[in-house]
Amino acid sequence: MNIPDETLMAFVDGELDAAARAAVESALKEDPELAKRVARHAALRQRLRVAYSSELTEPVPQRLLEAAKRVPPQANNIVNLRGARGAKLRDAADSSPSAVRWRPAAAIAASVIIGFGLGYANRNQGSAPLVRTADGALTAGGVLAKALSAQLVARQNPGSEVHIGVSFKAKNGEYCRTFALSGTVSPSGLACRQGEQWRIESLGQSNDAAGSGYRTAGTNMSSQTLKAVEERIDGEALDAAGEANALQKDWRK
Amino acid sequence: MNTSETSQNIHEEIVLLLPRLRRFARNLVRNPHDADDVVQVAVERALMRSEQWRSDARLDSWMFKIVRNAWIDEMRSRGRRDKVFLAQEAGENVGTDPIEGEIAIMSIQTAMARLPEEQRTAISLVLIEGLPYKEAADVLEVPIGTLTSRLARGREALQALLGSEGEEI
Repeated sequence: MNIPDETLMAFVDGELDAAARAAVESALKEDPELAKRVARHAALRQRLRVAYSSELTEPVPQRLLEAAKRVPPQANNIVNLRGARGAKLRDAADSSPSAVRWRPAAAIAASVIIGFGLGYANRNQGSAPLVRTADGALTAGGVLAKALSAQLVARQNPGSEVHIGVSFKAKNGEYCRTFALSGTVSPSGLACRQGEQWRIESLGQSNDAAGSGYRTAGTNMSSQTLKAVEERIDGEALDAAGEANALQKDWRK
Repeated sequence: MNTSETSQNIHEEIVLLLPRLRRFARNLVRNPHDADDVVQVAVERALMRSEQWRSDARLDSWMFKIVRNAWIDEMRSRGRRDKVFLAQEAGENVGTDPIEGEIAIMSIQTAMARLPEEQRTAISLVLIEGLPYKEAADVLEVPIGTLTSRLARGREALQALLGSEGEEI
């Protein structure tokens, strides 16, 4: 069977529909030359991914983190057509005090935990990053992952670095747990078990620690985490026995 | 989802996207510092018009598009002279690291640097950033057929530049 190269590339890129994919797969079994062409495309894809993977763990410059958490400037500073629309939005935001204070706080928490996880912690011997990114998804690492996997609320040490809140089973069958980290800035959030990983579903800040200009975000952030929990929870939170049972199963579905 | 929730998510999610935005920008702009400038402009623009982002759309695609447009604007405002200069500079400075294992990685980046911009961005969005064809075509504002032919030509060019190494599995 003669299959055009673009089809083989689409096959490697996961862009074929089921029928076309099956056709390529069966042709591959019979034609070693075809299999070689596919392997060549797959190898290139793989090499590119590897070659460009280190950039994902580089510390992000502070100025970019700040740009991402900054609320857009006032309307009279914006000289473009969208200014008017933006201003309307901001007026709406200003009339709702909770909106203005928890937006920056959340962004700070996210940047701090990422900065900590990806930059600071990497440079300190022995401390693994608490949060890792892969293709835009966040997973827990280091002591955070360890606590999510091993820490039971009933036996939690008040001085431990990670404080686990509630554990529950999500509607999709995954086990999820809320957490808070100790320290001057206290990121908190929700993580769900996916295979070997704890995927971070929600990340915020639990205490008033961001300092000047930002007010207490505690209740707001916990309401955000609470909302994330409410969206996912199937039934009720696990009690001590349920938690111990889930831990026995290594939090697998 | 109300406005304030969308806005809150967008700040947080943009922070999470920053490593990928920087990576994509570096495939457009050779000088990493300039790439970060482009990312910063893009982030600021995205936040200004965050009401245009629908939360059911992929934020990464939307942001890649803004990064690319920010770069195009930057190119227009300063002319093409810098781009040519920077591309040459990048070509001279890579591939000299003697540490084994890094040589292959450097050569991929050298090979990427030699691709025409349109092929490099297509490769970057699909093969490195992992966007589906449809999303990548949307970022580049071209039909899917144009995207796939750029991808095909880019792949062929890379394989040719990388020589036999590219055929190893």
